[in-house]
Amino acid sequence: MNNLLEQFLSEGRDFLQGIAEKLMQLENNPNSTPLMTELFRFVHTLKGNSGLFDFPEMTRVLHASEDLMDAVRNGRVNYSQELADQLLEAMDFVGILMDEIEVTEKIGTKHAIPAAELAKALRALLGNPESETAVIEDISPKNNAVISWADLPSLKLPESIAEKLYRYAIDGDAVFWLEYKPESDSFFKGEDPFFLMRQVRDTLWRKVVFNNVAQTLEEMDAYSCQLAFQLLTIAPEEELDDLLRYVPDETKRIEIPALAFVKPQGNEDDHPIDVEFINNALILLDVGDFDALTHAINTMLELSASELWSSSALRWVLRLIESEPDNKIAQQALLESLQTLIAPDWSEIAQTIPSTNTTTNSSTSVNSQVPDDSLLLGFHEVMNTQREILSLSPHLSGAWSEGRLKAVAATLLGCYRAVNHDYESETDAALQLALAENSPAPLLALLESSLADISKLSETPKLEQAELVAESAVQDANFGRRAEDVTAVAGRRSEDATAVTPNKTLKVDQEKVDRLMNLIGEMVVAKNALPYLANRAETVFGVRELAREIKSQYAVINRVAEEMQDTIMQVRMMPVSFIFQRFPRMVRDISRKLGKEVELVLEGESTEADKNIVEALSDPLIHIVRNSLDHGLESPEIRRTAGKNAMGKLLIRASQESDRVLIEIIDDGKGIDPDVIKNKAYEKGLIDEATLERISDQDAVNLVFAAGFSTADVISDLSGRGVGMDVVRSAVEKVNGTVGIESVVGKGTRLYLSLPLSMAVTNVIIIESDGQIFGVPMDLVVETVRVKRSQIRTIKQKQTTVLRGRIVPLLSLNDLLARNVEPLTNEDDEFATLIVRVHGEHVGILVDNFRETVDIILKPMTGILGGMSGYSGAALLGDGSVLIVLNPRELI
Amino acid sequence: MAIEYKKNLAVFSDFVGVEEAEALLEWFLKNPKGKINLSDCVHIHASSLQVLMAIKPIISVESKDEDLKLWLNTVLE
Amino acid sequence: MKHILVIDDAATVRLYHRNILEGAGYQVDEAINGIEALEKVLVQPYDLFIVDVNMPKLDGYGFLREFRSQKDVLQSPAIMVSTESGTNDRTLGYVAGANLYLTKPVKPNELLSYVRLLIGDLA
Repeated sequence: MNNLLEQFLSEGRDFLQGIAEKLMQLENNPNSTPLMTELFRFVHTLKGNSGLFDFPEMTRVLHASEDLMDAVRNGRVNYSQELADQLLEAMDFVGILMDEIEVTEKIGTKHAIPAAELAKALRALLGNPESETAVIEDISPKNNAVISWADLPSLKLPESIAEKLYRYAIDGDAVFWLEYKPESDSFFKGEDPFFLMRQVRDTLWRKVVFNNVAQTLEEMDAYSCQLAFQLLTIAPEEELDDLLRYVPDETKRIEIPALAFVKPQGNEDDHPIDVEFINNALILLDVGDFDALTHAINTMLELSASELWSSSALRWVLRLIESEPDNKIAQQALLESLQTLIAPDWSEIAQTIPSTNTTTNSSTSVNSQVPDDSLLLGFHEVMNTQREILSLSPHLSGAWSEGRLKAVAATLLGCYRAVNHDYESETDAALQLALAENSPAPLLALLESSLADISKLSETPKLEQAELVAESAVQDANFGRRAEDVTAVAGRRSEDATAVTPNKTLKVDQEKVDRLMNLIGEMVVAKNALPYLANRAETVFGVRELAREIKSQYAVINRVAEEMQDTIMQVRMMPVSFIFQRFPRMVRDISRKLGKEVELVLEGESTEADKNIVEALSDPLIHIVRNSLDHGLESPEIRRTAGKNAMGKLLIRASQESDRVLIEIIDDGKGIDPDVIKNKAYEKGLIDEATLERISDQDAVNLVFAAGFSTADVISDLSGRGVGMDVVRSAVEKVNGTVGIESVVGKGTRLYLSLPLSMAVTNVIIIESDGQIFGVPMDLVVETVRVKRSQIRTIKQKQTTVLRGRIVPLLSLNDLLARNVEPLTNEDDEFATLIVRVHGEHVGILVDNFRETVDIILKPMTGILGGMSGYSGAALLGDGSVLIVLNPRELI
Repeated sequence: MAIEYKKNLAVFSDFVGVEEAEALLEWFLKNPKGKINLSDCVHIHASSLQVLMAIKPIISVESKDEDLKLWLNTVLE
Repeated sequence: MKHILVIDDAATVRLYHRNILEGAGYQVDEAINGIEALEKVLVQPYDLFIVDVNMPKLDGYGFLREFRSQKDVLQSPAIMVSTESGTNDRTLGYVAGANLYLTKPVKPNELLSYVRLLIGDLA
């Protein structure tokens, strides 16, 4: 039992004792206000304590007692013997619950109905059962039918069937889950379980499980029944009872509540729906504007692929709105699940919903509304509160004491610091002025102006996918006279930062930026035609003068084109906060689900990278974070035993290192045990015995990236899904990134992704092989060498050569591309060999010949070709031909 | 006989009773690639059903009985 | 290390807050009512206060009013935590000198994110 629960029980028993004593004293002194006040405070505090835990039955009774005591204290209800009895009975009940909690740490479902009845009886004494709070609490036992969600089967139904069942359940047709596991000798008793199941009418979903005990078909005993039947039906209860009356012990029947069918499903491998949409939807839901909400969801659905998980969730929201417009909690939970792509835990939510069919009072939905704890939202909330405080009307607020002004200033300063803004001197100045004038006005003015500044600066992440901010400075991008323009632009920038006039930012549709980039790309390619033209002018038409002029024009166009490219890259940069912002929520939800305590720290959110890179980061990062939460960080108990802080720490940090973005995900969890990894990898046949013996710990840890490796024995619904870190690696490599891992057992794990800042321009070397040309990205190429045929050794049927004292395996590109042709050599019998770095190792690729290196705009392959992993894309060359660019990582 | 065995095909008809299961299993052991024709079959006893589930044979013709077809689809896909 | 004073008459609630805050690396002191809190703040500066409303002897409003009128003490932000969610209770809290008003029970991460903001921790 944790220390908090222990404290709760011991303090709680003291309160029960105190309440009983005060009630006794009140009997002798029924009009004593101090006694009443103290009694109220005891009940009130006890209720508050119970609210820290998930003990709804206890809280319900205490809440009713508190309301009753409040009425007594305020003289609305007279103290009476009957009232004292009722209160004592309620406290006895609470005592029983405490005893049970002490043993089992939870409250059995059997107490739900007595709790509701007690609460009702207490409220009856209020004489006003129709009061607002009473409506929420007054749950008739029938509606509160004790559905134990833990007992519900986990259903995996196609959405269309789930929808049908949901509608039946909502319309009042009981949907029954029927499970029938005949005894193994049932065939000998003349039974045909299959026939019996086929007699069930109105079966909407069915499944047969065959649990073959025999190892081989030869050993199978056809007459030993190993079947289990499961089905969902809306047949009447009596009919089912009648049908199954001979096999009551072998059948299980459960009525399934409608919400249990509300289970979004589909592909998760897409970007989650953007936060702004979800927040808007939640607001619309909160104000009850269903028309607008429905419209927004329909629009989103039209834009999204229907097989996505999020689309499925949205369709469910629509169904809930249609069938249960009052069940806001469920609708809200579904909308919120869009951020995590984890289906709402209805068992948890069902406790806050009095019943799926009864109207939920709006005040409960307000109470259960979970504030978003992402820093920026919290920031705005605190700022708004300070504004409210500073704007309190004088007759309410009274004279402003120095302390209050100072406290508001301290709060503002804290908030500025927390969002990384330095307003120290401004805040101090405003405070001094406010103190001098004894007026909140200077602080209010500071608050408004700082909010305007900060919201401007933090606008970029909020604009989401649809828009990018293009600074107006882009328009006068430094073509031509470089030096002057740079200073001019810099000057303007610094003016912008300090000037009161609004920053000159321009919201541009992202499509336009993309189109501009494509055009610039085409321009870069088109200008490459000029050298060819110059060449032709000279050699074909013999006008050398013209050729020279073309070349000098080319130099100008080339420079302009390059700068255009640089500039458009700048425009496309976006901060990683775009993906970071969803983590606080995700981490909270997942850690809560796993029963772990996790503190998430985000650093370097303003680090920028190309939009495509930032977006490509999203899925791998989510995967890594889920992995950390799932497998890395331990539960609070384990952490405490290990002498660690109960709350685990997860740090996600972005930083820029020269032309790359570095993203680190660091947890202080249990780390990765290299021995476990080694053995797993060996078991899975990823490494042989020799490797198992001599592999270093670091290399062993790196094996988590190997294809087909997954340490989780049980596939969890969080990080499992049978997808391992190899998926993360390939997703990162797709955008020319690298991924690495370091781990210390017991201390934690550091995973890092290194990605290029921009992916639009790729420098490739052109090579020839078997009469074709290909491009190979230069960032993979270590060097180009010519290897004499005599220097090639065959070790274990593999061709290798020794290069600078190191054995380099050689592969022929023709072989890799499945062309059965020997690579060509030059006159000196040397092979042109491209040394590339693949997964940290050097590999030589034999080609026919090298050509020049070029900058290209790499377009990924689309359509059928998109699935071919050996190629990273294609590009247009200056002469209009197409260059296929190879992806050696996948090819080898 | 409710099951008629041809060279590489077992043809089920009407009501396949409990007595067929053993023979069906043996036939499949001899003809691992045997197919089944369920066209005129209306019910299969649970014992034969589990033999089919163990073998998962190819169904050359589905049953005309819609309800049986629904059940078998969930079992033999 | 930032120092936080938790003022609540319920030991369970104090422990709840202590667990959360200490877990995040803050130093925590406790006071069981407004009087005890006043005694503490006059001898020792704190970076933040978490104040319950309903307490015996001196309640949260009374404590804040008294504390905010003190000179020569560090006037740090205060978060008022209450079971009452009414606007009126909220306004009373702000008038007394609270800088934020949260409704019980406050979830751990929610509390922490507000504490970080008010204290100015760069996470």
